[in-house]
Amino acid sequence: MKVGIIGAGSMGHAHAVGWKNTDAKIVGVLSGNEANAKILADALDAKVYSSYDGLLNDVDMVDICAPTFLHKDYVLRAAKAGCHIICEKPIALTVDDGLEMIRACEAAGVRFFVGMVLHFFPEYMSMKNAIASNAVGNPKVVRMTRASYRPKKADDNWFMDESKSGGMILDLMIHDFEMSRWLTKGEVIRVFAKSVRSEHPGELADHCLSILRFDNGTMAHIEGSWAYPLPMFSVRAEVAGDDGLIEWESDKTFPLQQYMHKSNDDASDVALPGSPLTEDPWAAEVKHFYNAVVNDTPFRVSPLDALRGLQIALAVKESAKTGKPVSIKAVEVEA
Amino acid sequence: MSKLRVGIMSFAHLHAEGYIQNLRSMPDIEYIGFADHDAERLEKFGKQFDSKTYPDYAALLAEKPDAVIICSENNKHRELVELAASAGCHILCEKPIATNEADGQAMIKACADANVNLMIALPMRFSATAQQIKASLAKEGMGKIFCANTTNQGENPDYHRAWFSDKTLAGGGAVMDHTVHVVDLLRWYMNAEPIEVYAEVDNLFNKDNRLDVDTAGLLMITFDNGVFVTLDTSWSRPSFYPTWGNVKIDLIAERGVLRTDYFNQKLTVYEDQQQKPLWHFWGSDPNQGMIEEFFASIRENRPPLITGEDGLAALKVVLAAYDSAKQHDVVSIEHNNKS
Repeated sequence: MKVGIIGAGSMGHAHAVGWKNTDAKIVGVLSGNEANAKILADALDAKVYSSYDGLLNDVDMVDICAPTFLHKDYVLRAAKAGCHIICEKPIALTVDDGLEMIRACEAAGVRFFVGMVLHFFPEYMSMKNAIASNAVGNPKVVRMTRASYRPKKADDNWFMDESKSGGMILDLMIHDFEMSRWLTKGEVIRVFAKSVRSEHPGELADHCLSILRFDNGTMAHIEGSWAYPLPMFSVRAEVAGDDGLIEWESDKTFPLQQYMHKSNDDASDVALPGSPLTEDPWAAEVKHFYNAVVNDTPFRVSPLDALRGLQIALAVKESAKTGKPVSIKAVEVEA
Repeated sequence: MSKLRVGIMSFAHLHAEGYIQNLRSMPDIEYIGFADHDAERLEKFGKQFDSKTYPDYAALLAEKPDAVIICSENNKHRELVELAASAGCHILCEKPIATNEADGQAMIKACADANVNLMIALPMRFSATAQQIKASLAKEGMGKIFCANTTNQGENPDYHRAWFSDKTLAGGGAVMDHTVHVVDLLRWYMNAEPIEVYAEVDNLFNKDNRLDVDTAGLLMITFDNGVFVTLDTSWSRPSFYPTWGNVKIDLIAERGVLRTDYFNQKLTVYEDQQQKPLWHFWGSDPNQGMIEEFFASIRENRPPLITGEDGLAALKVVLAAYDSAKQHDVVSIEHNNKS
């Protein structure tokens, strides 16, 4: 199988590690930033492409690590060219766009995977397994936090442009919105949220607190932040069941603590959570996609899951903007 | 300095078990005993604490105590406050002040009319951690505060006292029990009033179908300074959790983030008898500071740091949360007078 990587930022590099552990051949790299493309292409012994159509002609699958606002165009064109697709999250900026992408891939008969990478973090797998084995009864109140600093890419910081990334709620909190559905086996029916952006316009800090209600009665509190100081990335999850409790905090379960004299410049552009693992979650994700395509087996997490995560994120944004609760009904692919 | 003579009215609230020991440790206090309308409790705790008991509240008040601590069920607060006020006693009353606004207002009036102090037992302000934060915020150490993520989660208190999950006696469940501490702390930290509440409230921790009150609550409270705060009041800690629960506040502010876990000063103890880890809190006892402030206010002839009005302001958030959960909409709170 021949693969093209679109986007040569932090995700392009993270995915590349995964591709190295498959028998796929990375043929080419395409990026809006040619210098970055060359660095990644050189490391992979691949070619730099400047034409997407040219790349599509040469590959069987594409790995889209481009900024969110470009996902739709890249996915639709890849589907048309008959290429299988792995695409970074969020699936798209709107539910309609996401639906169009899913339908186009179905119609073209190509496999489409959205990188909801939390499904490849062992702590969440472990939580899911504990819940499945009835360790805590039925989940009733779920609490999740994902707190970091503002992405600080030096040039073209598209994360900070809401029209390109959807902002913190779409880009960061979507992980936990989608994960809370998966852990509680419910669909969100109502959200209420406030954000520093909505309540204190003009402030640099970006922090959102949201309350979700599910169709099975479960509640969730989801917190997302780009308001923490460098270089923090703090993640928490708690599942209170009617017969027990699961608690987890990244800060309290790190197996090593290193205290160095260093400047803030040492923090990476985009904070990524990471406990030491023999296989990092992005690599595991890429391998999963590849094996599922080659062996024609189901994906662990579907584009519809990713789309429903997006739908919750958009409802949270709307609630924060209007100051009112927002009711939703989980989107379906069939019209 | 003459000793203040103090009695306890009812042992319904488990905090009475702590207060009696606080009182007995204070050299300038004479603890005179307790009364309870429940004969079983009177017998049990009289023996357990080797305390003098009175068969009814009138008998206790006939001893002319200077002050009483009221630890009854929530819905009896008004009756006992009015009784004690009319006997000229200063009053420290358990939280929440009452189960409805009218009772709370009547209690405040009764104490004002009798010219006695009414303090509500919201001890978190006397936590050494809280005192340090208050001082730091006063120096604007965090800059402008934007929002807070808070919890006051607990085990189901009816493992210890059944009335906590009786809607009539307690006035509600987890939201009634666990909203007021954090609200009071934040009102005090920020010198701001809650003006708006959204809440999801339900009875979700009720596997054996035993309970008829709310056991889960997620609140979003907005203050008049623009700060928004989520609060998890749920009775979501299992009976085999290492402790009763927690009070945690994460403040997100201009200059950074302040995370506080007020009961994190603890040992983890693994005990053969228990077969589960237990957390032994070794931090300073906030109740001691609260009780000392109550007596200081009496001796100095001034209002206590936490008044009936403070108790009422916190109760209004509770009542608004129940309203909001019914309506699935945001509920406004009429502006309280700052105390």
